[in-house]
Amino acid sequence: MTNPASRLSLIGVSKVFPGIRALDKVSFDVRPGEVHGLLGENGAGKSTMLNILSAVLQATEGQIVIDGQPVTLTRPADARAAGIAMIQQELQHIPQLSVAQNLFLGRPLTRAGGLLVNRATQEARARAILADLDPRIDPRALIHTLKVAQQQIVEIARALLDDAKIIAMDEPTSSLTPSEFDALAALIARLAAQGKSIIYVSHKMNEVFQVCDRATILRDGRFIDTVDLSQITEDQVIAKMVGRDILHARHVSHARPEIVMQVDNLSDGGLIHDAGFSLHKGEVLGLAGLVGSGRTELLRLIAGIDRAKTGSVTLNGKPVDLRSPRTAIRAGIGLVPEERKKDGIVRARPVSSNIALPCMGRFTRFGLVHRGKLHKESTALMKRMGMRPPDVTRAIGTFSGGNQQKAIIGRWLAADVDILLFDEPTRGIDIGAKSEIYDLIAQLAQSGKSIIVVSSELPEIIRLSDRVMVMREGTIAAILDADQISEDAIVANAIPKSKGPVPVAQALEAM
Amino acid sequence: MTDTAIPTRTAPRINLRDAGTFFGLVLIFAVFAVLNPVFLTAPNLINILQQSSINACIALGMTFVIISGGIDLSVGPTAAVSAIVGATLMIAGVPITLAVAGAIATGMACGLFNGALVAIAGLQPFIVTLGALSLYRALALIFTGGNPIFGIPPEFRSAINGLVLGVPVPVIIVAIIAAILWVVLNRSPLGEYILAVGGNPEAARIAGVPVARTKIIVYVLSGGLAAVAALILTGRLGAADPTMGNLWELDAIAAAAIGGASLMGGKGSVVGTLMGAVILGGLRNGLTLMNVQAFYQLLATGIIILVAMLIDRATRGRA
Repeated sequence: MTNPASRLSLIGVSKVFPGIRALDKVSFDVRPGEVHGLLGENGAGKSTMLNILSAVLQATEGQIVIDGQPVTLTRPADARAAGIAMIQQELQHIPQLSVAQNLFLGRPLTRAGGLLVNRATQEARARAILADLDPRIDPRALIHTLKVAQQQIVEIARALLDDAKIIAMDEPTSSLTPSEFDALAALIARLAAQGKSIIYVSHKMNEVFQVCDRATILRDGRFIDTVDLSQITEDQVIAKMVGRDILHARHVSHARPEIVMQVDNLSDGGLIHDAGFSLHKGEVLGLAGLVGSGRTELLRLIAGIDRAKTGSVTLNGKPVDLRSPRTAIRAGIGLVPEERKKDGIVRARPVSSNIALPCMGRFTRFGLVHRGKLHKESTALMKRMGMRPPDVTRAIGTFSGGNQQKAIIGRWLAADVDILLFDEPTRGIDIGAKSEIYDLIAQLAQSGKSIIVVSSELPEIIRLSDRVMVMREGTIAAILDADQISEDAIVANAIPKSKGPVPVAQALEAM
Repeated sequence: MTDTAIPTRTAPRINLRDAGTFFGLVLIFAVFAVLNPVFLTAPNLINILQQSSINACIALGMTFVIISGGIDLSVGPTAAVSAIVGATLMIAGVPITLAVAGAIATGMACGLFNGALVAIAGLQPFIVTLGALSLYRALALIFTGGNPIFGIPPEFRSAINGLVLGVPVPVIIVAIIAAILWVVLNRSPLGEYILAVGGNPEAARIAGVPVARTKIIVYVLSGGLAAVAALILTGRLGAADPTMGNLWELDAIAAAAIGGASLMGGKGSVVGTLMGAVILGGLRNGLTLMNVQAFYQLLATGIIILVAMLIDRATRGRA
């Protein structure tokens, strides 16, 4: 059954948790020098698979074969010894230590009979290994001073230092800019050319098609197919992942003529200056721009999270008090933040409590929380939004990213705000849940809510928006009406003028 | 005390952590019951509750502060200042109820000062309350010249030392406070806010939780409860001592931690803290009954705290 030419073979690997079969007899193989995608929706079993490969979890049954030798992975050290390295989505280093110290963390090079760390040798070896990957990284620099992309390269360097044959990357691009992604893609190609096998987990189809040779698709813990990506289309892959065909929905505008929110001259004394625009009832206003153009910052000012220096926001003709999120929410503005874990959820609390936070008053009777009402309403809300399972008493941290996002959106529906601000609403969310979030945004607009959506994915912005506002260097460069919306138009307005004319194709990549 | 403190309304589900603390409590009491026949008699059990009541009172306030992600190291000196204000007012002839209110207001004012420095000035709770610990102790010592205030009115003393249906008054006071706090934590919007602020302050702020106000309230609560504990002790001793409450903060933190409060914030239980206080009180009582030296009592306390934390760690499920 195992292919002699394969570097890694998984044969009938299952993982059973109490009550859940997270992986069900999954078999696939990875060749030497291959970049192998691992695809599936959240809950499909990708994380479980990676955890088994890195021996964080042990398989309930099945066999793992590396270079023809069956291996037993019971502790993370076994995985490392077997030549498997894992680049986690959330990078695993100690920010206050230097690059070299992090590289040799746990196995320092020593001198004086093991008593002292040999910093000079560590730094020299670190420099040698980094020279191949990114010579700009100084081994003596503290990790937290590096950009995320560079921190990731340090992790890769660590894998190379371990002499890993198989490098698994879990959502490596979730916090990279497009140009950083290009650099990473080139690096992955070089590693593959040196004979390393790369397992690449990502939700972003375009990346997978660009980076990977083949891909294995999982759904509900079962193996669906291993496909050659040069022989298949994106839509076919997505259909295999979700088990149905997601049609590219046509955009329908629900915008009405009346203006609900007017933003004038908004500045934060730093990046954001002179931001002004209006938002119609039932409108979805896309907010595009390069990373660092101030999109998130603008949303945070409107939501009262950061203090505005000058300017005003009026809602239905009344000025909004922007002193705190609380006052902005009272006026009817709610933000669905980009970093769900950090800014969105209170992990250990039940879904229902997370939903009720902005509108405790609605669920309070005689000064106490009306549990029955809260439970009933939040359950109904989450059922309507397709949360799975719709158990609102469970801690929100135990749900997938897509489900958490639904709860945060549900929070604002419960609070009945008029304006919803979405910051990268589908980041880190699988494709199935993504299309549900799209549908939800459209439904909200139809019901008369007004919406601003920040997204770095141009197809997403174009699919969702009635108008697109483009930010450039902290101010609003253009507002495109429906008939003016195109990738080219967005990009042309997003690029800082001082840099001179930039070819559209190149600029597109920088989005 | 623990049982009377729990309102009989049905909780949505059984708190496993509380069940674990309860099991530990039963285990320790069972061991002492076997070792010493006096331990499990009704008078001795009441005695344990009585001895635990002051720490339980402080620990309940501490639990709220800890859940909100903070810590209050200043509870002992807050108690001392409150006791001195209360005693001074009583001796000056102020009606006892007003003097009691004055003492509690003093404790709350100490808490307000801590809370404002934490929530508004944005200083770290550990440092703020460490500073306050010295500050309030100094105020108590300066005001009294270091001498205890004697001459507490006998009416006040007999009220504190009395029994209601055979149960000491301090136990009843703490039981009532605990019942109210249980409702606040588990059934009130403030409880939701405290848990949210401790669990993720930034997410709570963005969700519209009044974070600063919530933090201030827990410190005011802690200060107020320190004053209640100080009044109980003043009534029992018949004097207000400016050195009162030395190291109270440590016992209170221990009771809260044994009861399941996480020093990282976002987690804790009223019932658990009460049981934690009774575990510590029972341990001391049992060891004293067996004539174990004080040094070994300290040893046992340390071991219990660490074992409780290890079990906590080991039994915390996945997710």
